[in-house]
Amino acid sequence: MPLPNITEGDIKALIPEIKSAALIGHGGQKVVFRAIYNDQPIALKFALLSDTFNPENEDIDETVLRAQRETQIMQECTSPHMVKLGPIGLATACTADQNVLYFSEEFIDGQALKEVLKNEGPMQTDDVVRLGLHMCSAIADLWSLGKIHRDIKPGNIMRRADGTGYVLLDAGLAFDVAGESISAGFSVGTMAYFSPEQFDYTNRRTMDFRSDIFSLGVTLYEAATGQHPFFSPTTSAPHLFSKITKHNPAPPSSLNAAIPVALDNVILRMLGKSPHLRYRRIDQLREALAQVQEVR
Amino acid sequence: MAMFVQHGHGKSDKIDAALDSGSIDGVIFGARNEKIENIESCVETVREKGGQVFLDPQFHVSAIIPANDRFLPDYPYYKVGRTSADFIGVKKISGHVKATLDYELTLSVDRLLSPTVIFDSFESKWCQTALNLADASLDYHASIKNAPPLLLSFVIGEQALESRIELDAFLDQVTSWEAMSGAYIIFSREDSSYSQRFESERLANALYLTYVLGSINGLEVINGFTDFCGLLFRSVGSTAFASGWSQSLRQFHKRSFTKQKPGGKLPRLRYTSTPLLNSILLSELQLIYENGALDAVLSGVPFDEVIVDADSPESSDWNARSSELQHWESLKTIEEHIGEDVSKNLSVIEKRIVAAQELYLMLTNEGVVFGPQSGSEHLEQWSEAIGTFREIASL
Repeated sequence: MPLPNITEGDIKALIPEIKSAALIGHGGQKVVFRAIYNDQPIALKFALLSDTFNPENEDIDETVLRAQRETQIMQECTSPHMVKLGPIGLATACTADQNVLYFSEEFIDGQALKEVLKNEGPMQTDDVVRLGLHMCSAIADLWSLGKIHRDIKPGNIMRRADGTGYVLLDAGLAFDVAGESISAGFSVGTMAYFSPEQFDYTNRRTMDFRSDIFSLGVTLYEAATGQHPFFSPTTSAPHLFSKITKHNPAPPSSLNAAIPVALDNVILRMLGKSPHLRYRRIDQLREALAQVQEVR
Repeated sequence: MAMFVQHGHGKSDKIDAALDSGSIDGVIFGARNEKIENIESCVETVREKGGQVFLDPQFHVSAIIPANDRFLPDYPYYKVGRTSADFIGVKKISGHVKATLDYELTLSVDRLLSPTVIFDSFESKWCQTALNLADASLDYHASIKNAPPLLLSFVIGEQALESRIELDAFLDQVTSWEAMSGAYIIFSREDSSYSQRFESERLANALYLTYVLGSINGLEVINGFTDFCGLLFRSVGSTAFASGWSQSLRQFHKRSFTKQKPGGKLPRLRYTSTPLLNSILLSELQLIYENGALDAVLSGVPFDEVIVDADSPESSDWNARSSELQHWESLKTIEEHIGEDVSKNLSVIEKRIVAAQELYLMLTNEGVVFGPQSGSEHLEQWSEAIGTFREIASL
């Protein structure tokens, strides 16, 4: 999906209160700037709208609707482990000859988990458990609104620099349970964290928070072992689908002997091929993770 | 963990005797076979003896046409000849749920059993109706203060168990109900003749269903209308199973609830042999005795004395009552040793199956001929089913 071509100058012209803006990243649909707004750092996100976009009809534009959902979720979520909406609400504009939408989020000073794992290697068991508990808080918060995130992965989790833990970002794919199954149009890297039911094009399978539990299970597996349970750089999309839906990964402790059996059991249960094999309540997962800490 | 009596027609003093001997832990009363004016005292009697009590409202009979419903029309929630139109809309579903659970609440039962309908496919409209009734039961139960825990009832035709994909979707749905605390599961058998046979693929999926609900999701699961198969269900995670005194109370069949022409023959006397994992005819036990192998097939329970103390099985005072009570005693001796480790439980059962197969072979070689309902065919099916189950459950 094409991304908007935005400069600091464009941003300052669009939002005069912005003192500075530096590009810090881009996802599948958005570019993200660290900007200073009223002397506070914020994350400012921009997405490209179509050339034919008409502000009069923004309530039927899919990109706008998706951003509306994302910002609404951020507004309603109360978990400290779910990113919050920033001071600049959702708006659309035409800048640098492009139709764009933008909104702000709280700026998280820290590092994406993806980078943490790349730079530091597998995490200690206590950190894995802590990561799991913090993400449980975010998943529970979303589920209390009847939503599922659908894109939990190391690239969407930030570790705060102040040591207070982990924050889940990017609710752009979050949907209520009636949302359509979506695996078309995503990179293999993103699909590597999808649950088996996210590949179900027939929509016969229930989609609920247990789908997020699977994605979190993949993330915890990777955090604990440094290896993805289903994906390697040579994995093709069809092979990935087959591995996620059929292959039972080796226990994490077989790759990292420091991992206790109790954590093995929790992660493998999160990776159950069907929702009914995973945890039925988020509290059950929380308790199981807490027990891993207790027995150590 | 427990074993219950599945109550039906003609209870006489069997329940009291079984409770007194400790071979059962409680009773699931069937509303169809007990007069409404007697049910309260029946419940109280069991409670006084320390047994657990449940009332199966047998609501499902209302959708069977023509129904053999005996005393059910006297129960306030029951109406004969309900069709699919009677289950369209939230108001109607809620009305059925309220009427059924309200009646159960008038009795001193340990668990409420939700109303349900029978279905033969997980994709059928009747399955959807059963799910709607279960969902509405959870909602209504949540609104009742100090109510006993609720078990969601499902009467599942064994044909439905042929599709793993549909079963998986059903289990995804059921386990998504966070308020659910347990289930009362009955497998409706396709073949109405009594035996321990259960097609292996279907049995494997029945075990998987029980395992997912009981062992994986930690729900209370009671398997109703079972026999020796109840031991398999207990082994994979059910909390309890219920078995009755007659063959129609040991395996559920729609035929039992459908009006039939009068007639039929009295059941022949049987002896329950735990070494054979089967109930065999008294005449077959006599043949075994004549071949000098009686000790090898005895269950080793108190009621065996009736046979052991006599000159021969057929000359003993063995009667319907002793056969029924000995059946529960025998199942209980196995049930009470079942633990929480599913894989270990199955290993124990697998050893029993192998031993039973060897015993059957030895007896057959000695010239003992078993009838079609008493033979060893079920053992191979169970063995295959456990193998398949272990594979799908990764155990």
